[in-house]
Amino acid sequence: MAMTAVARETVFALRRQIAKIEGTLPERLEAPSGAAFDARPDIPRGADVTVVRRGLAVAAPDAFLRTGVERLDAALSGGLPKAALSEIHGAETRDAGAVAGFALSLVSLILREQPRLPVLWIGTAEIFREAGFPYARGLHAGFGIAPEQLLFSEAPKLVDALWIAEEAARMTALAAVVLEIRGSPQRLDLTATRRLHARAQDAGRPVLLLRQAGEAEPTAAPVRLIVSAAPSASRETIAGPLAGSIGRPAFTVTIGKSRTALPGQFTLEWNPDEHAFEERGTKDPVAVVPISARRAHPAPAPGAVLAFPAVATPATTSPTACDQPSRHERPTHRRPRRAG
Amino acid sequence: MNAQRIAALDERAEALRLKRGMGIADARAMHPSIDVVEADPEADRRLLEGLADWCDRYTPLVAIDGADGLYLDVTGCTHLFGGERAMQDEILSRFLEQGFDVRAGLAATPGAAWAAARFCGDRIVDSGEEEALLAPLPLTALRIEPGIRASLESVGLRTAGAVMAAPRAPLARRFGATLLLRLDQALGRLDEAVSPRLPVAPLSVERHLAEPVMLTDDIERLVSLLATALKGDLERRGEGARALALLLFRVDGAVSRIAVGTSRPLREPLLIRRLFHERLAALEQDIDAGYGFDLVRLSVLSAAAFDMQQADLTGEAADDDADIALFADRIRARLGEAAVLRPVAVESHLPERAVATIPFSEAPQRRAPPKQPGRDTPPMTIFPPERPIRLFRAPEPVEVPATEMPEGPPMNFRWRRALYRVTRAEGPERIAPEWWRQLPGEAVAPTRDYYRIEDSEGRRYWLYRQGLYGASDTPPRWFMHGVFA
Repeated sequence: MAMTAVARETVFALRRQIAKIEGTLPERLEAPSGAAFDARPDIPRGADVTVVRRGLAVAAPDAFLRTGVERLDAALSGGLPKAALSEIHGAETRDAGAVAGFALSLVSLILREQPRLPVLWIGTAEIFREAGFPYARGLHAGFGIAPEQLLFSEAPKLVDALWIAEEAARMTALAAVVLEIRGSPQRLDLTATRRLHARAQDAGRPVLLLRQAGEAEPTAAPVRLIVSAAPSASRETIAGPLAGSIGRPAFTVTIGKSRTALPGQFTLEWNPDEHAFEERGTKDPVAVVPISARRAHPAPAPGAVLAFPAVATPATTSPTACDQPSRHERPTHRRPRRAG
Repeated sequence: MNAQRIAALDERAEALRLKRGMGIADARAMHPSIDVVEADPEADRRLLEGLADWCDRYTPLVAIDGADGLYLDVTGCTHLFGGERAMQDEILSRFLEQGFDVRAGLAATPGAAWAAARFCGDRIVDSGEEEALLAPLPLTALRIEPGIRASLESVGLRTAGAVMAAPRAPLARRFGATLLLRLDQALGRLDEAVSPRLPVAPLSVERHLAEPVMLTDDIERLVSLLATALKGDLERRGEGARALALLLFRVDGAVSRIAVGTSRPLREPLLIRRLFHERLAALEQDIDAGYGFDLVRLSVLSAAAFDMQQADLTGEAADDDADIALFADRIRARLGEAAVLRPVAVESHLPERAVATIPFSEAPQRRAPPKQPGRDTPPMTIFPPERPIRLFRAPEPVEVPATEMPEGPPMNFRWRRALYRVTRAEGPERIAPEWWRQLPGEAVAPTRDYYRIEDSEGRRYWLYRQGLYGASDTPPRWFMHGVFA
């Protein structure tokens, strides 16, 4: 292919424009090291860039919201697109807590980059009645979203909710827009989602569409995640996990639709203190003693680990006896002290 | 007592010598062919209020007088309509075109105008002529009660002039102070205030249209024209509008009043137009343009000091807040006051009281950016209580067939006709009612024991038991109050 660099540039620019008009999102590939890529003068060599399959347009590395879970980010090839509509589904209305919790974790991650801007949560009156109204105390405690940063909008009908969402999606003064609806209404079709997606792209802000008890329908959103609750791990204490306790929020996230990812399932835990995701299984939840740098992990103690030592033998387990060395070990104790 | 009586008559009925207060049966006996319509005072009242609205085009000070009268305070308005005579003619002819038989009187005092309208027909009384006007009129013209009038007539005082000529002290002693008060008010010796129906807008601009407009687009264009005129006035006063009203006077007398509110002082014509655009879109079905509107008025109902904000060099921070305020106002204009809500933390132990959601326009404006929950600020408590992310507005009753221990968490529960098996539970967290809010006679609300509960599929709920076992005759009840993430 004898093509001059200028001609190729023109073709790329046109393809980029077509991709923009079509509203397609950059698909990610490994950055090639070929001549076509090196010829671009505006990209420094070795920069962390993403090459788009369609037209080789380059997406900035901060176009994606990293969830912090390596496997999920890799599956979504970089994370959740920031300037886009993303759908989060729950199978049933009773999953509304998990779906809202997962969306709020994402919002919390977004707010880490936009700490000054508020978040708008739009819902129909129906979903707020059925699934409960967002509770600002819980959002503050679990996700670090201050009440001053929250705006709620309760629309009497779905049409109104969609109108508010469309108006809100084009605003750059909002960090994120959450639209929550129930079921699979006729009105929220491909056109409606495309309008939302186009506005989100223009404003460069994420729109999260929460669909409780909805079915997977054609949508313009590039990513659809299906979220359900996962049994939480027990609370961790110094003495190991506390049996019967309810620990951090956990979600089962399934990738329902993505242009790049293969279907996959992940179990994520939200850390309310650090405001970060962790994937279950990657970290040993029982590891209380940190792994030493030099030696292997200490062998586990035989038998069950209890919170308190057995009180059967008070002579050996009294705190003074444990903390202090015995008389034979401390030289100062060999000599009896005399008073005076 | 239960006889039906004539409340009002038209001209033809009057010509048949029927009178008010006459029984229907008597009237039918005289003229079997009369047409009787039941009186509807409510509808009359509504009609009168509609007329009062329409009269707003002449003066902002319109008051309703009794069941069949209107006061218009036209002080300082007459020159706009070409003088007193021309204005009165205009009002009369326009009412006549709408099909109303109206009598008007114009005088320097409300009492004299009242008498002139009712007893002299179309008359304009100059200042100082009140005495000459009232002297030949019967006592009814003084707006006094029928009882006083009857006793005055019984002593031979049959005209207002006769009362005026009588010595004042005996009159006051015998007939009370009201008589002399009314007399002095009518003659202008005492001021009489006419209280207008609507508060007078601090600022308003209007435009009379030679050709009536009907289209919403035209109305919006007029709004921005009027708002441009308002802007100068607002700037001179150093204020911005917090509430605006658009009055559309239809050719045939109906008046549409469209109000919008703003969450911060506003004076930019373009933004005002956008607010009215949303409001007009929401009211599209309710506004009937009919033959068109011939007068459009934009009023500032309430204004507040407009603090000029100097944007920083990047010009970001100030813009964001203004954008959000405008966005909230537009949604409010279309969907109502409660369309955009903001949560505000309230000091309370009760979960439902701990957060108040108030309309955005009433929420305190955010001045400083919210502080990032940093690591350097210690938390209020080491272990803050766990709170759900969603709270039901009304706690939903839950059936609990069995608990592990009498005071313990449930083993399973039935909520919304589905059975949930509890695998893990944390609690209880006891939240007592706020006794300091209880009224003295009120029954003591039971305490609540809250449990965090995880079901077999991993969903986490917030249940509470209301009351204690054995504390009262009624067994404790269980409620679902919230959902955890």
